[in-house]
Amino acid sequence: MEIGKNIIGLQEKLRILSDAAKYDVACTSSGVDRKGAGGAIGNSVAAGICHSFAADGRCISLLKILLTNHCIYDCKYCLNRRSNDVERTAFTPDEVCSLTIEFYRRNYIEGLFLSSGVFPSPNETMERIYEILYKLRKVYQFRGYIHIKAIPGADETILDEVGLLADRMSVNLELPTADSLRALAPHKSRDSILKPMSRIQKKIVESRQSMGQTARLERAWGVKSLSSGLFREESYQKRLEAEKDGAPLFVAERGAGLPSVRRRQDIRTFVPAGQSTQMIVGATSESDYHMMMVTQALYRQYDLKRVFFSAYIGLNDDSALPAPGTPPPLLREHRLYQADWLLRFYGFRAEELLSEEAPNFNVLLDPKCDWAVRHLEYFPVEVMSADYEMLLRVPGIGAKSARRIYNARRFGRLDFPDLKRLGVVLKRAHYFITLGGRQMFPVSLEENRITAGLISDNRKKNWKLTHEENYRQLNLFDDMKLEAAPEIEDFKKAAGGQL
Amino acid sequence: MKGFLCEDSLEGIFTGIYDAWDSGLGHENVKLFMKGQYEPEFFWEYEDVAPDAEKSEKVARSIRRKISGEAFRVVYRAALSAREERADVIYRFLIEGFCHGGVALRLLQKKAVADVFELSRKVANEAHQYLEFIRFEQLKNGVLFSAISPRSRVITLVAPHFADRFPGENWVIYDDVREEAAIHMAGEEWVVAEFPKAQADAFLEDQGEADGYVDLWKVFFHTISIKERENPDCQRNFLPLWYRKHMTEFL
Repeated sequence: MEIGKNIIGLQEKLRILSDAAKYDVACTSSGVDRKGAGGAIGNSVAAGICHSFAADGRCISLLKILLTNHCIYDCKYCLNRRSNDVERTAFTPDEVCSLTIEFYRRNYIEGLFLSSGVFPSPNETMERIYEILYKLRKVYQFRGYIHIKAIPGADETILDEVGLLADRMSVNLELPTADSLRALAPHKSRDSILKPMSRIQKKIVESRQSMGQTARLERAWGVKSLSSGLFREESYQKRLEAEKDGAPLFVAERGAGLPSVRRRQDIRTFVPAGQSTQMIVGATSESDYHMMMVTQALYRQYDLKRVFFSAYIGLNDDSALPAPGTPPPLLREHRLYQADWLLRFYGFRAEELLSEEAPNFNVLLDPKCDWAVRHLEYFPVEVMSADYEMLLRVPGIGAKSARRIYNARRFGRLDFPDLKRLGVVLKRAHYFITLGGRQMFPVSLEENRITAGLISDNRKKNWKLTHEENYRQLNLFDDMKLEAAPEIEDFKKAAGGQL
Repeated sequence: MKGFLCEDSLEGIFTGIYDAWDSGLGHENVKLFMKGQYEPEFFWEYEDVAPDAEKSEKVARSIRRKISGEAFRVVYRAALSAREERADVIYRFLIEGFCHGGVALRLLQKKAVADVFELSRKVANEAHQYLEFIRFEQLKNGVLFSAISPRSRVITLVAPHFADRFPGENWVIYDDVREEAAIHMAGEEWVVAEFPKAQADAFLEDQGEADGYVDLWKVFFHTISIKERENPDCQRNFLPLWYRKHMTEFL
């Protein structure tokens, strides 16, 4: 491809439009396995491949750009809002295609993540995105990963077409409640966001079922079998929730009968890697509990593959927002992600981790440790005989190590050094487990003591935070309560090594 | 007490295993070493093992049959490691493997199994990271060229991925530590060939060219980072410095 003279212009565009896209957090290339093919370029690996890591430590997997940063909307949190005076530009479809293909050939990226400002209307924006997508897939025969942001307000028909060519689609929820959305994004409504989301879900279900797959997405090993888990189809809890919300859970149109089975060559999968969304953390006053409940509802009702969180970075000066320069709530974002993992891989529910009374995560302890110290009635867990589900709930035992324990213990006894070899983090786990009835160290199951221990393991900084006042230099004489002055004989004894 | 000195190849290691087993001295009286990577000790006798395709094939076949295909893949990866104890680790694992059969890989409480698992996992992780961090440079003649300096011998693990991904491209992945390369011609199978450093340098000398996309990539790489979140520790954690030697964006 000839880029020749225009290279400076293209560099400038790329700078502006990647700078405008960088606040979108999703950059995963996971969820779909696709082999390469002769005459085509590219393949896709379900585990996802990161290609680089930027200075902020975030992975760069996809070419994350906006098609244009012109926008008719005026969302308060957004850098590209109509009322901001920023450089505006737009890529041509050919520029996007050649950037994608040429970066891909050099193994810089795993594919394209295309989003756009809304200009001149949602439909026209989406049509342009479709044009690029069509070119990449049909003209360039590109088989790599493509993530498309669905523009709220675009017609369903065009979403349906885009979904047949993309691997993942996402609609950003942005804010967890309708009220805060109204306050910060006056041109978007909750409905305009949820509508495309449920449309995409419906099409995914149809496409999956026509290929003989389950309606809901595959999840990690064993997660669906966890009785308490989120993805249990017919669990009692789920129905309970639905009744409480008053909203029916999305069910794959039961009355409509089975979708017709298409011939093999007609089958094009619709968004095979599932859809995701993102919420901003810290721009409005919602609690962590609120965020987690919304996250959980999204997983259940819309069968999302991922929910992403983005710590709000003060860019715009607005009375409705935290002042510019407010440090982004990175720890809070981190805790939300930890909890998100607990929901998706460990069979936890949001209401187990947080409640109305304690609506925010512990700053010093991760959510799993925090849950464990509040529920000591379940511990200690006997590693040789505990259920897989219970093993998963022990701090320091992850999904992989639980599985290894499960496999290994059938063939013989385990020991603490064995556990370490299996990948268990004993410095956290040892408070909560027994092996053959023994603890690793004699520690009593007391909430305060374990908390103190866990926090001290966590980080030097945390340790300092909590112990600064109690800490004092060890003083031999004070601590030994030697009030009387040492006598001459003591010196003799000390010299002789008897004391 | 006898040490068997293996050559650094799958064939060399497997032949060493065959000979050590065949010596009948008892497992605790033999040990495998890599040629040139061991410290001679008193009272030990050392024997050079000449790689033998037939013996090595027998070992490979027994692993597949008596343990499992998965076990063979684990052993294969472990053999690509650069750790000097690799041959002996594989030998100890095979003792367990031939005794327990297909379940052997799950017996992680046995040191021999855990050791080979660990070696294999390290190599697999490194290979995966090279899928991420390999950077091709487009030469004048259109060939995509990539140089890497891996710790383990990963090119045979990464080449299939790129062969599947770029079937229509001519590409070279050059391991500058072992001076060998995986070479792929458009529409054909990939091969591994010896590639002396002098030859690689000469090749790059007349084919290297300023490539506009290099600068575009650098622009993208630097703008995509959010200043308010800068975290070099986190970046180093995911992308250790030693990988960056050949990466376009850090050059």
